[in-house]
Amino acid sequence: MNADPSNKEWKFSEILADHEIRARWEKVRRYFFLRESTYDMANRCNIRCEGCYYYKGDKQSARENNDPTAWHDLMRAEKARGITYVVLAGAEPSLVPELCEACFQEMPLGTIATNGLKFIPASINYKIHISVWGNDATSFDIRNAKNMLRRQIENYKGDPRAVFVYTFTRNNIDQAREVSGILAEQGCRLTFNMFSAPEGYEGPLRHSAASLDYTRRTMIELLKAYPGEVFFSHYNAVAHTHRSSLHELYSCSYPRMNPSTDIGLGRSFRQYRTDLSWNREVACCVPDTDCVDCRHYASGSAVVTARLFRHATDPDTFKAWLDYVDTYLAVWVMGYEKGDNLCNQLVAPPGHEVF
Amino acid sequence: MSTASDLEQIILRVAQIMIDELKLEDVTAETFDPEIDLIDEVGIDSMDLATVALVLRDEYAIRIDEDDYPKLTTIRLISEYLDNKLKERS
Repeated sequence: MNADPSNKEWKFSEILADHEIRARWEKVRRYFFLRESTYDMANRCNIRCEGCYYYKGDKQSARENNDPTAWHDLMRAEKARGITYVVLAGAEPSLVPELCEACFQEMPLGTIATNGLKFIPASINYKIHISVWGNDATSFDIRNAKNMLRRQIENYKGDPRAVFVYTFTRNNIDQAREVSGILAEQGCRLTFNMFSAPEGYEGPLRHSAASLDYTRRTMIELLKAYPGEVFFSHYNAVAHTHRSSLHELYSCSYPRMNPSTDIGLGRSFRQYRTDLSWNREVACCVPDTDCVDCRHYASGSAVVTARLFRHATDPDTFKAWLDYVDTYLAVWVMGYEKGDNLCNQLVAPPGHEVF
Repeated sequence: MSTASDLEQIILRVAQIMIDELKLEDVTAETFDPEIDLIDEVGIDSMDLATVALVLRDEYAIRIDEDDYPKLTTIRLISEYLDNKLKERS
């Protein structure tokens, strides 16, 4: 199935004959060398959010290794086995800046996922993803933090590292307009995430079919309203608000769902705990997420991007994929500048309907 | 019916596509060891392999299934895979 109604079987070279497509393809393929792993940096956080993945499963009980030398050594070993990109995450990396600094000194490309309440020194030149879960009233309700957005903006306004990540839950969809407007007015860049339930979670944040549909429409509305500030695409919206999970749509390539150790993420990806141990059986970008509900932006960034072959079926499908990869790189890689989206229509994931 | 010489031709062509698409230096189609492990020794990844698979699809009108990628770790294995598919088609 492809997006071309004539059902023509397109050659890859024919798709690339379009100059716009060729230019974008050449732009994004320079980053195919990125090979990621993720690292929990601390077992502490300065807030406690409903539905936080970190405090599910047994990784939360790992002891912290606070020796920068150990982190230097780990990063050197990671580089030696081919890792070129790090994601520093749970529980709250800003509480251990000296460890983040150690990572940065060894590994120049990466991202830190933070709640944004504590500024991460500018010397750590990684992308900084600041999590936003609604307006300040909602943040107070589910994160127990006052004036969260204002404090996040104060810390990161004008910071080229910063990307605000608005997580859509079932209950905060309308608030995305207010929050996006505030961020755009301040010149802050943002992208969208989807709440993906941790295993066993049946609380009110979990999406329904109706909330997925409404989220998709809202994402596209905001993409059109703030094209300079919102890093997203129509295809991002389709992939992340589909009624099927990312795993169902694209076959998740993280080790937890992918037994193959021959090539790709199944071979190279590790998810380290704070004690620097790792366990292939549970390794994925957001451990302890319920895979049948996973629409997480971090997951899509790897899983959709990896499916090059499936998307090279016709020009529109390939353009949609290129928009996705372009968005991924702009969100995750310092210095990468997002281009204009090439495909502003809803394209179905290969082998599936739009919904 | 394909012959050993056909397979050798495919090996050379696959090697040249690898070199062109992955911008490999200091190697030619003739000197590229068809037995070398592309993943462990050349360092190619799944995205590289997908790119090469697309170019091979154009050239031979043969689709390499994503599930088959992990098996195709050398130029000889890729070439034999193509050769077998070509035989099946003829």
